[in-house]
Amino acid sequence: MDNILSVLVFFPAIAALLGFVVDKKSARVYGISVASVELLLALWLWMSFDSGNAGMQFVELVPLVPDFGINYYLGVDGISLFIVVMAALMTLLGMIGMSIEKDIKNMIISLLFLEMTMIGVFVALDAIVFYLFWELSLVPMLYIIGAWGGPLRVYASIKFFLYTFTGSLIMLVGMLFMAYLYHSISGIWSFSITDWYALVLPVSYQIWLFLAFFVGFAIKVPMFPFHTWLPYAHGQAPTIGSVILAAVLLKMGTYGFVRFSLPLFPDASVMMIMPIAVISIIMIIYTAMVAYAQEDMKQVIAYSSVSHMGVIVLGTFAMNAEGISGSIFLMLSHGIVSGALFMLVGVIYDRRHTKLMSEFGGLASVMPKYAVIFGIMLMASVGLPLTIGFVGEFLVLLGFYKVSMIGTILAGTSIIIGAIYMLSLYKKSFFGPLTNKANEKLLDLNGKELMSLVPLVAIVIWLGVYPKPVLAPIDNSVKALLTFMEEKAQTPEAKERIVVSTTMKEAR
Amino acid sequence: MEKFVYIALFAPLVSSLFAALFGMSPRKTFVGVIASLLLATSFLASAILAAFVYQTGGAIHVTMMEWIGAGDLMIPFGFIVDQVSVTMMTVVTLVSTVVHIYSIGYMDHDKSFNRFFSYLSAFVFSMMVLVMSDNFAGLFIGWEGVGVCSWLLIGFWYHKPDVSPEENPSISPSWAANEAFIVNRIADLGMLIGIFILYWNTGSLQYDVVFAAIPHLSHGILFAAAIALFIGAMGKSAQFPLHTWLTDAMEGPTPVSALIHAATMVTAGVFLVIRANPLYMVTPEVSYFIASLGTFVAFFAASMALVNRDLKRIIAFSTLSQLGYMFAAAGLGAYWIALFHLAAHAFFKALLFLGAGNVMHAMHDELDIFKMGGLKKSMKWTYIYMGVASLALAGIPPLAGFFSKDAIIETAFNEGTLILWIILVVTAGMTAFYSFRQVFLTFEGDERYKAFGIHPHEMYKFVLIAMSPLAILAVIAGFFQGTFHTFIIELLPNYEMSEHTHHYVLLLGAIVLAFAVGGIVLAWVMYGKGLKRNEKLENSFVYKLLKNQYYIPQFYAEFISKPYAMISTMMWKSVDMKIIDTTVDGIANLFYSGGDKTRKMQTGNLSSYLNWMGIGLFVLLFIAAISTVIG
Repeated sequence: MDNILSVLVFFPAIAALLGFVVDKKSARVYGISVASVELLLALWLWMSFDSGNAGMQFVELVPLVPDFGINYYLGVDGISLFIVVMAALMTLLGMIGMSIEKDIKNMIISLLFLEMTMIGVFVALDAIVFYLFWELSLVPMLYIIGAWGGPLRVYASIKFFLYTFTGSLIMLVGMLFMAYLYHSISGIWSFSITDWYALVLPVSYQIWLFLAFFVGFAIKVPMFPFHTWLPYAHGQAPTIGSVILAAVLLKMGTYGFVRFSLPLFPDASVMMIMPIAVISIIMIIYTAMVAYAQEDMKQVIAYSSVSHMGVIVLGTFAMNAEGISGSIFLMLSHGIVSGALFMLVGVIYDRRHTKLMSEFGGLASVMPKYAVIFGIMLMASVGLPLTIGFVGEFLVLLGFYKVSMIGTILAGTSIIIGAIYMLSLYKKSFFGPLTNKANEKLLDLNGKELMSLVPLVAIVIWLGVYPKPVLAPIDNSVKALLTFMEEKAQTPEAKERIVVSTTMKEAR
Repeated sequence: MEKFVYIALFAPLVSSLFAALFGMSPRKTFVGVIASLLLATSFLASAILAAFVYQTGGAIHVTMMEWIGAGDLMIPFGFIVDQVSVTMMTVVTLVSTVVHIYSIGYMDHDKSFNRFFSYLSAFVFSMMVLVMSDNFAGLFIGWEGVGVCSWLLIGFWYHKPDVSPEENPSISPSWAANEAFIVNRIADLGMLIGIFILYWNTGSLQYDVVFAAIPHLSHGILFAAAIALFIGAMGKSAQFPLHTWLTDAMEGPTPVSALIHAATMVTAGVFLVIRANPLYMVTPEVSYFIASLGTFVAFFAASMALVNRDLKRIIAFSTLSQLGYMFAAAGLGAYWIALFHLAAHAFFKALLFLGAGNVMHAMHDELDIFKMGGLKKSMKWTYIYMGVASLALAGIPPLAGFFSKDAIIETAFNEGTLILWIILVVTAGMTAFYSFRQVFLTFEGDERYKAFGIHPHEMYKFVLIAMSPLAILAVIAGFFQGTFHTFIIELLPNYEMSEHTHHYVLLLGAIVLAFAVGGIVLAWVMYGKGLKRNEKLENSFVYKLLKNQYYIPQFYAEFISKPYAMISTMMWKSVDMKIIDTTVDGIANLFYSGGDKTRKMQTGNLSSYLNWMGIGLFVLLFIAAISTVIG
């Protein structure tokens, strides 16, 4: 299959179109089947991926607007491959665990469209195609929050849409300017990211371009102080919306840093290490403290998401393979773990129609299976070794230590304050006596919920004990990226800061 | 021999998973039996390995598979069985096996019997990973693993409600569990930083590579690494100021206190210092700090034990105090003596805790020793066990504690650190006093429990038999000091007393012994015949200070926990919701209201349109004029 990537991108979209004629009663089964096929395709992509090759694979290139160098240009490398697989996985598991009955058909169609845009973003190698998928992803999510959300859903969804849209418009300006620069230097138009990579820009241009892209990515991540749309979005979104949002959509921002900012503007990236590190560290500590103050279980997870995204951004700017590979691995692990945590909150919300921790207490004795799975995800979230959460967090902190010891100590407090809010959430909800009568007859996880959660538990432990199948291809591409950046960098500071790993040096 | 390494390591994991299969089903005795058998298997394998290492003097090194590889970092799952790790393995599995068998009896009536064994075995597995790993990352796996198991086990009776600190200083099991986990996390950050320092300066986390690189590193780096790793050790081994969690951890079931919070996990910090001895040898100022802190904690904890009324908390304070002794020895460079005391302490302290468990069982979970007394009639064996353990703890010859503790005190003299020596000697007297205050108040004198309608009974026979190996070791372990010395110095640096110290050895021993015996006699005089409360003493400032643990828990609650919660809430409600979010909404509203106001331009009135056109033209001309001037 030469055009496996096109199939991956458009299969869910075509299936979604066909979904309009599917009977309402079988919509759910239809959606799950499509998502399963999609996941199998993604796994097939992984299986046929050549781990030894650090470059782009399964490349497809079809000219769209040849005069302006806009191409339908797709490809994956070790950095994007696993995000694609995760997007397919989380969509499927989210659908399986979904408890929504209302307008189920519309929901399934929205999710399948969303899946197209998510996969499209991560495999696009043309800036315009990337931008199209990036913006298109807002639409189904806007609809999911706006149609199935809580009481403030309209406010939350519009805030989500406008805020991220504003950011991406600035990013678009950056992209257009980038293409203009490419044209003025080489005489031809191109929007191919790989063409842009070859462009060596003056440092002053790099900084402005970096900032333009930064606004788009930072709002998406969301980085402090652009994060306030997220708690609203999570607070109002239905479970499935939060799962996809936290697991995949936020990763677009951090992925953007790795795909665009680092290789396009290596000198600016190095110059920006400190400002970004400061923002990330504020983000890690500040949102973790805010998470502790929350009364609503879901808001704790929402703020914890922001805090963890701070760790991811920090790792991206460590400028060594340990940090960047760790940060990409953390994107995956955060996707799995926060996705699972949002599903778990959904479980109790379905039963009690409240997410306030004060309503609970002693749940461990009525819902032991639920408590066990929640406990495992909690431990993964606080980065316990041998769970998926440790690998990424450890590597990021280890990598960033090379940049700044004080920064690492401050960012490392996330392992302390992360434990504080998560353990107090667990204590308030699961421990203590069962005081609320409404909780006495709660049913433990049902088959559907177990089917969506148990695979995640398995992944959390599998990749915690043996991360190599995922980490090795990531690391391979990251090492190549760093070598490329180091060669392209002009300023001596950047040359010095970007660490090329020993194996790559030997290869040279 | 490799297969024994794997058996020793994985038998506890199998046991844990097996018990977990029945985690949600009602109590099944065979779960406890099989778990105990698997632990015994692990002990046997460890013993075989110990014999092998003893005979050959070599180490067994196995690398299972790669764990994390990124950039230039490569961390394998590698295990090393050498003199130090095999000592730890044998001690850990032996005490664990005893505690597992004990728990079959102790947890008899608990509905979560199976779950308990699952956690307990998982703990042993983590502990084995901790001591057997051949690199710092592997150590950290075990380090965090024991932390989680400790969290699970302290909070084992999670259904108990929170009460005020006046009623129960630990508030509730789940509160104590969280406290232990979070305090340990603070220390773990220090440890992680230590690991990072070593990695970026040596390029590896393998012990052998790191230690081989030490001579090439600058002193500043070594100093930072030594401090950072020791911060990690301070958390696990509950050294001041991270000590409060240990006494609160007594909320866990007593077998847990015996295994985790006395014999094994809390000694992990000491183990780390011993393991990293090449690092601490070259950082004498850090080592001296460790010794001083250890000595301080020995005294500090013992002082709080003097007045406490809670059976388990007294033993917890004594554990803290003995950990201080171990750090004192390790800090002074006598690593092998620290390890020897670690092992001896594991035996008699576990025995003491298990004895306390028997008392609790008999007293229906009453812990106040003021409400006990005269239990020797109904609990003869427990009295003997606890008496033996307390004699060992007090350092009465020829029991184990005499040899190991005396060696530490002698080291302090040998190093010429007289202040440390004096404090350690005084502490030895205090140790004897509080140990026997507890024993006498529990077993001797008038039967105060009768007022509460309790009918104590001795523990099951099989439990008492299971405890006997610990009792025997508490008595005889000291005789193996010489053998242990020759065995362990193949790996650890040798430490021997100077001629000068040898000259005074009898006198030194006699002084320590005098303090110990004096402590016991004083305890007998004060409490041997029953409880005579001294109102004046109990109302004195010092007594209250000690009783309230120097007001440190209150201080932490008032100046750390509460402000943290307050600032968090403030950040959420004032900063996040008000300042940041209002700014965002404000900017958005600016556009809304801007659009709303300019909307009025669209009046449909031709003359107003012409006016606007005029203004527009003027503005454009103005801009054009300016740009010509600038351009």
